[in-house]
Amino acid sequence: MSTHRNLAPVSVDPARLRLDAADGSAGTLLGMRCLDCSAYVFGLAVFCQACTSSRLEPADLSRSGILYSYTIVRVPPSGWPGAAPYVLGEVELPEGPHVLAEVIGADEEDLQIGIDVKLALQKVTSGESEKPRIVYKWTPANCGQSEMREAHN
Amino acid sequence: MNRFTPGREVVVVGVGLHPFGRFRDKDLATLARDAVLESLKDCDVQWRDIQVAYFGHVYYHGMSVGETALASLGLTGIPIINVENACSSGSTAFWQAYWGITSGMYDLALAFGAEKVPGGPVTVTAADSPERFIGGDHMMAGYALRMRRYMSETGAPASALAQVTVKARQNASLNPYAHRKETYTVEDVLSSRPIADPLTLYQCCPTSEGSAAAVLCARDALGSYGLDDSRAVTVAAAALTSGNYNGRGSDHSAFSPYRTEPAAIAAYEMSGLGPEDVDLVQVHDAATIGELQQIEALQLTPKGEAWKATAEGRTALGGDLPVNTDGGLLAMGHPFGATGIRMVHETVTQLRGEAGPRQVANARVGLAQCSGAGDVTTVQLFKR
Repeated sequence: MSTHRNLAPVSVDPARLRLDAADGSAGTLLGMRCLDCSAYVFGLAVFCQACTSSRLEPADLSRSGILYSYTIVRVPPSGWPGAAPYVLGEVELPEGPHVLAEVIGADEEDLQIGIDVKLALQKVTSGESEKPRIVYKWTPANCGQSEMREAHN
Repeated sequence: MNRFTPGREVVVVGVGLHPFGRFRDKDLATLARDAVLESLKDCDVQWRDIQVAYFGHVYYHGMSVGETALASLGLTGIPIINVENACSSGSTAFWQAYWGITSGMYDLALAFGAEKVPGGPVTVTAADSPERFIGGDHMMAGYALRMRRYMSETGAPASALAQVTVKARQNASLNPYAHRKETYTVEDVLSSRPIADPLTLYQCCPTSEGSAAAVLCARDALGSYGLDDSRAVTVAAAALTSGNYNGRGSDHSAFSPYRTEPAAIAAYEMSGLGPEDVDLVQVHDAATIGELQQIEALQLTPKGEAWKATAEGRTALGGDLPVNTDGGLLAMGHPFGATGIRMVHETVTQLRGEAGPRQVANARVGLAQCSGAGDVTTVQLFKR
């Protein structure tokens, strides 16, 4: 029925998520580490946000973190391609940065500040002509699902 | 951080407000102009004497709306600057007018703002941004994340947060300009429709339309324009900051709850006043949690304790720390470009002793604080 499944997926934001497999089944969160003050930034950057140094090196960020806070979004913003309600999590990485993304594969009673979460990738499509996008998500660390999930919208 | 030293003393001589609500038959420029007319009438300043005008607004209604709004008053050739700084657009326009005068460049300046905010959740990024797929760009979801964290860290009960709205509605019931004047109980607030748990609808500010304006003058030039200082209110400080690195490494939505601190410190230093001197406060209560964290960032209570001050009634009219005396964003509504100047309007009205049924007794020092996306913060101090 739809043609988009035959299109190669793209990263939702190449400055923040690198795809490590052509089908989008593996990927890594991108960051930068400052060679002068050691601060990390989520996403590609040219200058350090903490000390303004331009001496930065790329650094792959951890695939897991701690749930710093979460909310169940009942009224989604315009353009949200997923179902509602959805869970939005603020996750603290071991390197420091906080990364906001949807939390999938969790029952409401599993959600709690401080739980361990891990990176999950989801293929999201919106519109027949659009290439599917691989979106980074979080899922509870004890959730047994495979990393790659597919959203059918 | 602000390294400039204020020069001439600046006073607010006139303020004007258009009611906040929905005005579908009025375009943005007309809405803006109406507040300007009120502000000029308030101080009897002639439009031809205004030397510069700054106009705060966010949503696009065509180019140069500030010029369109003011053209109907006469084409005087003055610089008119349109200012977009998210929810702090109005307070940024005020900040620019202040610095335009204190620097010596102008004697008389106008700061005004207006907005017609569309309904539905407010987003910061463009419609084609990756954020729309990621799901993190949702103002109230951002506040909800902060609220859950705050409740977990401080032990604040949901009822204390709901009390912020109850208090806002009580204040607004005394204010004919407010968008939402009906009063609510804690139970009403908590049982309203969930928006982003734990935030319920009545804990989120309404999206509104409205406008506000302020006329500022150098104190030493009042006489040159036939003005006196009988109703003038001194601007003791005007500070504006953007985001500081907070260790969160820039995911734009994971904003710091205490980003107001640097602007607060700058404003206290500029004015020689401290938190203990402040008699009434207007803060950016886009959501209930916002009010609590702003109060703490302004050092008006210790961190983690603003919810107690609220629960004890200290922030209500008649308390020792009255906050958002006109109803705040939660009840006045939040037309972005107007909000910061609406806060100036309320502070000036209170310090003049003209606030009628919501008058704070013996009010001599007032503080106004506005937040915006991009971690923009403004803090202004006023004194009589």
